[in-house]
Amino acid sequence: MEYVSPFDERRRVPEPLAPRPASLAGARVALLDINKRRGDEFLDRIEELLRARGAETSRFVKQIFSKPAGPEIVRRIADRGDLAVEGLAD
Amino acid sequence: MSIAAPAFSLASATGGSVALAELHDDGPALLLFVSEECPTCTLTLRRLAPHVSEITAAGLRVVAIFEDPLEVAARVARRTGFAGLVLSEPSPYEVSRAYELQSLPTAVLVDRDGSQSARVVGWDAEALETLLSVALTDEPPRRKPGCAAKSTYDAAALRELDAAGELDELEDMFELGWTDGLPVTPPTRDRVAAMLAGRDPDELLGEMPPAMARVTLERVAACSVLAGCRPEYFAVVAAAVQAVLEPGFNVGGQAVTTQPVGQVVVVNGPVRDVIGLNGSVGALGPGWRANMTIGRALRLVISLTGGGFPGRLDRSTLGNPGKLGLCFAEDEEASPWEPLHVSRGYDARQSVVTVFGADAPLSISDHRSTGPEELARVLGEAAGATWSPNWWPLGGTSLFVICPEHARSFAEWGWSKSRVREAMFGAVSRPAATLRWGETTPLVQSADDDRPIGKWSSPDDIVLVVAGGEAGRFSAVFGPCLGMDAEAISKEVPWNT
Repeated sequence: MEYVSPFDERRRVPEPLAPRPASLAGARVALLDINKRRGDEFLDRIEELLRARGAETSRFVKQIFSKPAGPEIVRRIADRGDLAVEGLAD
Repeated sequence: MSIAAPAFSLASATGGSVALAELHDDGPALLLFVSEECPTCTLTLRRLAPHVSEITAAGLRVVAIFEDPLEVAARVARRTGFAGLVLSEPSPYEVSRAYELQSLPTAVLVDRDGSQSARVVGWDAEALETLLSVALTDEPPRRKPGCAAKSTYDAAALRELDAAGELDELEDMFELGWTDGLPVTPPTRDRVAAMLAGRDPDELLGEMPPAMARVTLERVAACSVLAGCRPEYFAVVAAAVQAVLEPGFNVGGQAVTTQPVGQVVVVNGPVRDVIGLNGSVGALGPGWRANMTIGRALRLVISLTGGGFPGRLDRSTLGNPGKLGLCFAEDEEASPWEPLHVSRGYDARQSVVTVFGADAPLSISDHRSTGPEELARVLGEAAGATWSPNWWPLGGTSLFVICPEHARSFAEWGWSKSRVREAMFGAVSRPAATLRWGETTPLVQSADDDRPIGKWSSPDDIVLVVAGGEAGRFSAVFGPCLGMDAEAISKEVPWNT
C-alpha cells in the first residue's frame, strides 16, 4: 500500500561547523542573551572568564526568548564575532 | 533434469508489479520466500541483509517474496535492514503452491534460463554460504527450522489469518510514527485525493517550525486523513493551519515550550452546521467526529509535519489532554451576544476559524449568583489562579467559554458582552503586597504595597465565547499561553465545503 507522508521528506545537509580556534586569546566572542530571566547573570560570568583568557567580547540581546533571533542580529553576530555563546533558559 | 521456475507477477514494495522473467533476465535470481510471523524468516533476512549488496554486485538478484500484505512486507524489510527487492504474495498464496513450498523460509535459486537450480529450506548458514559464495556470521544458530508456509494452511485457517491481517495497516502507522499515540486512518493515496477534492496538492501554506517543514495542502490532507476527518472538514483544517502559520501566533514557540500549551480552535459561521461541529452539550469533550478530528488534524500538522512531537522537540513538562486537539463551535444561536468572529471584524455570514494558544480548561461552577456583578466576579476570580496564583497581570489572553445559562442570565440583566468583560476586569484585583510571594511579575515587585494590580492588563485580554448544553451553570476558562507574544488569529474558511 502506498501512503502519503505527512512529513516534508527533503533531506537537509547539516551546515558544517566552523573550525575550532586554537586559542581564545584575541578571539572576538559574541554573547547572546535570549532575554529569559537570569540569562544575563550566566553570561556576565562567562564574559568575565572569557576576558580573563584574552577574548574580546560583545553582548547581544534577543527581543523575546520564544522566537528565533531576527536576521539583523544574526548578521551582526556573524560580522563581529569569531565565536558565539548563547545563554539559554531560566 | 532442470525444473522450470513457475512464472508469477507480484506487487513490489517500490511500486508496480514485477514478473519472474524480469528477475532472471540478465543473471540468476534468488527467491527467498518468507513471512512476517515466522521468526526464522526474520532471522534469515537479518543475517542476509549485510550481504545483499555484495551478492547483488556479484550478479545475483536477491528477492524476498512475502506471504504477507505489501505494507507488512515493507515494514519487515525496513526492520531487518533487508535492501533487496521486496514482493508481496496475496492470499491464498498460489505462487508458493506452484513452487510446492512446505515451509518458510525457502530460498530458490532461479538460473538465467528460468530453471530452478538449487533450494535451501529453513535457516541453513552453511548451505546458503555455498549457494551465495559469501561468509555469513558464525553467531549461532547456524541452522534453524522454519514455519509452515501459509500455502499449506487449510481454507478456514487462511480466512482467519486474512481477517487478522487487516489490522496490520494500523500497526504500520505506529511503526512509521505517523500517530499521536492513538490509532489513525492510514493516509492512502485514494483517501488523500478524496480529502483534496481536486485542489492543488503542492499549494504551499507556509513553513511549520520547529522543523521549518513545507506545509503543502497534500501534507495537511494526509494529516486530516490520519486524524479521521471527513473531506468536508478539510477547509476548516486548512483555515486553522493558515491561522497558526501567521507569525503573530508564534506556533514555533508554542510547539516546543515547556508550558503545557495546546491550540484551541473556535469555529463561527455557517460551516458549523454544514460539518456538524458541536457547540452545544459537551462542546469541549468527546462525542462529535468533526470536533475531535479537526483539532487533532491541526495538532498532527504541528507535531508530525512541523516536528513538534511530544518528548522530542516538544518539551512540554506535563502536556495536557488538549494537545491531542481541541475544536468546538460557538453556539451563536444560544448566545445573546454578537459572535466571536463578528467581534473580530468579520460578517456574521462568513465562516471563520479562530485559534488560541491555551492551557487546559478550568471549569467554573456558579448556580447561585443573583446579579451580574456577582456572576462576573465569580468568572473572573476563577481565572485568578491560571498560569500562577500570584502572576498578575497575566500579559496574555484568557479564553472564557460561557455556558448558555450564564449567558442568558447576563442577557436578562441587560448586560452586553463588553460590559461583562469590563466587570470581570474590574472585579479581579489585589493590592501588590498580597501578590509579592513566590515568582511574581516585575510590576508587582516594583509597585507600592497598596497599588491595586489586576489579573489582566486590559479588558481586551478577556475573550468570551458561548458554548455548552442548555442546562447547567458551568462555564470554563482556558489558562493562557504566556511568554510567546502569541496572539489569537482568525482566518476565513478558504472554500465552501
